[in-house]
Amino acid sequence: MRKEDTVKLISAEGFEFVVDKKAAMISQTIRNMLTSPGSFAETEHGEVTFPEISTTILEKICQYFYWSLQYSSGKETECTKNRHVLPRVPGDQNYHCS
Amino acid sequence: MSDQKRRNFQIEAFKHRVVVDPQYADKTWKILEHAIHEIYNHNASGLSFEELYRNAYNMVLHKFGEKLYSGLVLTMTTHLKEISKSVEAAHGGSFLEELNRKWADHNKALQMIRDILMYMDRTFVPSTHKTPVHDLGLNLWRDNVIHSSNIQTRLLNTILELILRERTGEVINRGLMRNIIEMLMDLGSTVYQEDFEKPFLEVSADFYRLESQQYIECCDCGDYLKKAERRLNEEIERVTHYLDAKSESKITNVVEKEMIANHMQRLVHMENSGLVNMLLDDKYEDLGRMYNLFRRVPNGLSTIRDVMTSHVRDTGKQLVTDPERVKDPVEFVQRLLDEKDKYDMIISLAFSNDKTFQNALNSSFEYFINLNARSPEFISLFVDDKLRKGLKDFSEEDVETVLDKVMMLFRYLQEKDVFEKYYKQHLAKRLLSGKTLSDEAERSLVVKLKTECGYQFTCKLEGMFTDMKTSQDTMQGFYASQGAEIGDGPALVVQVLTTGSWPTQPSPPCNLPNELSTLCEMFRSYYLGTHTGRRLSWQTNMGTADIKATFGKGQKHELNVSTYQMCVLMLFNNADRLTYKEIEQATEIPATDLKRCLQSLACVKGKNVLRKEPMSKDIGDNDAFLFHEKFTSKFYKVKIGTVVAQKESEPEKQETRQRVEEDRKPQIEAAIVRIMKSRKVLDHNNIITEVTKQLQSRFLPNPVEIKKRIESLIERDFLERDNADRKSYRYLA
Repeated sequence: MRKEDTVKLISAEGFEFVVDKKAAMISQTIRNMLTSPGSFAETEHGEVTFPEISTTILEKICQYFYWSLQYSSGKETECTKNRHVLPRVPGDQNYHCS
Repeated sequence: MSDQKRRNFQIEAFKHRVVVDPQYADKTWKILEHAIHEIYNHNASGLSFEELYRNAYNMVLHKFGEKLYSGLVLTMTTHLKEISKSVEAAHGGSFLEELNRKWADHNKALQMIRDILMYMDRTFVPSTHKTPVHDLGLNLWRDNVIHSSNIQTRLLNTILELILRERTGEVINRGLMRNIIEMLMDLGSTVYQEDFEKPFLEVSADFYRLESQQYIECCDCGDYLKKAERRLNEEIERVTHYLDAKSESKITNVVEKEMIANHMQRLVHMENSGLVNMLLDDKYEDLGRMYNLFRRVPNGLSTIRDVMTSHVRDTGKQLVTDPERVKDPVEFVQRLLDEKDKYDMIISLAFSNDKTFQNALNSSFEYFINLNARSPEFISLFVDDKLRKGLKDFSEEDVETVLDKVMMLFRYLQEKDVFEKYYKQHLAKRLLSGKTLSDEAERSLVVKLKTECGYQFTCKLEGMFTDMKTSQDTMQGFYASQGAEIGDGPALVVQVLTTGSWPTQPSPPCNLPNELSTLCEMFRSYYLGTHTGRRLSWQTNMGTADIKATFGKGQKHELNVSTYQMCVLMLFNNADRLTYKEIEQATEIPATDLKRCLQSLACVKGKNVLRKEPMSKDIGDNDAFLFHEKFTSKFYKVKIGTVVAQKESEPEKQETRQRVEEDRKPQIEAAIVRIMKSRKVLDHNNIITEVTKQLQSRFLPNPVEIKKRIESLIERDFLERDNADRKSYRYLA
């Protein structure tokens, strides 16, 4: 993965998740953040800090990004091949832990 | 995946910690307000999007959306007021540029603000029916900057002045104009229309009114039209470059109205360069331009059409009633054809074959061709001339073209039956004298007439052709059977004409020389032998003869003469000198014909095989004629006075016209009977209309004549007057 295609998502505890820009853009908020005309700090450094989002949540979010990418495009992308995919639709109350 | 024992637990929604800080809202707002300031000051790089977004999100979540919204409005308004001041302060030329720059800045800032406040935009705003952030930004811009008292008028004036400068030929910054105009368009169509378009259209109208006034004083029609076209194209170009596309039709309407519609009459009737002059000089380009421009305004084309129609009618009327022209029928018709060609060309090249113009042209031609009652006769003479010698070197297509043109003129005639009469006469003469150039051309024209008028028109003409052919066969038969007995005598060629088909002529008496009369009798008995029950009568006034003559010094000539002339000349075989009276007695040719015949034999220079005493032009009853021994001619074969189709003299014309009138009577009667048979009862006016309609392909019946025919039919018990209504008639079976 090239540097230009990625963005760093940092959780409240300081964990850094490096994801594809394409994946991150699934979130409208992050998309606006990255495409805003102004030169906000985020676009300058290519990293977004979420002081109120915990690591576990952020991890799930990243997983959701890739799941969404995979299933919306209908093909298994290279990045998702090695990921562990949630077997159920998010929002379902019953989780399966593996 | 292992099966889990279902535990009864609830997952609580993730709640934010409840904020107890009373200053929370104010503090959060301060952060955001500061951020907005920084954004407007181009200082946003230090800010964290995430932080601002989170703050806005929290405010809305904790029900402080209203504070956020109103705070936004206030902050933006303050900034815009500052911007407004700075724009006002800009000097002349840089006013628009400054405005443009500030507008671009504002848009960028607006988008950043909207991104940060996205959550509010998506949740708070719809639920409270407030204006979304983007539109809010535009409205505030509009209210505080564009509609600020100083800027509003100044902006409009600057734009209009720039447009005026461009119209007078200067180059202006079109990109800048485009941005400014697009700004107005973005602010809403009412802003665009009220703040710009309306005044623009008014100012343009004034400008073009003035300009058109100036131009029309000093330019001629063609130049004026060129200028108008240029201005029109210029305005269209202007719209594509920096105005709203919807303005195109509005501004073109303005130009059309001011430059064209207001001056239409004056342009068309302009002296020395108006429509009439253009038509006369075949100015196709100018005419085309006029057509294209006038097409855009209401009544434009009808104005052109009316002027053209009246002009064509006038020239046509002049042509047709000019006594000079009338002297040469062939020239007359040729001029008509030339006029038609000219206008056809104009209509196809300049008026893009517009059907309404074609129709106008046709009706004009119809009008003036029928002004001269001799038109049918002249057209027939024209055809006659062409078929005799005019089409000599023409290719087949050219022949067809000429004939088609003649047909076109024919269609304009109202009195087609007069044409038919003359055509028959002329055709008869052509066929009998063997003078027609091309048999195919003749037949082709007859076919065209048939397609145009129906079988009835041409059946007699076709009968004439058939007779000629049959006669040839008859002659062959005659010589085959009687050839031996005739031996070395004169050769006879007879054309047997069926009386109904050919124009009726009385057959005057004429004494043929003996050699010929025996031959004629032989033919008569031969013919009646094969066709019993028929009657033959010799038409001596229509024949020709070739005779060999030996003159004084032994020079031989072959003379081509009419039958009458032959009879006269043969008399001189037995006598050298004869008086008029003696000739008259011997030949029994009627006086007028004889005089004419003698005139061509004795008085025409170069063809005077007879000498006359005294040497006057006219034939007196006591003149004497001598064989002219000293006759000379360059040619061996000499043609003398064949019977050529000529323009009729007055009495002949009257006679023909009378005959035509006579022929019309039964046709009118037949039409009346046909109509009454199907309608049973009809009133007077309707009968007239119906009869006219039925007969209009042949001629235009006179209502008085129709009335007379109705009276005649009543007398003969075909119709009766209705008892109740004196004006209607009833059909009697």
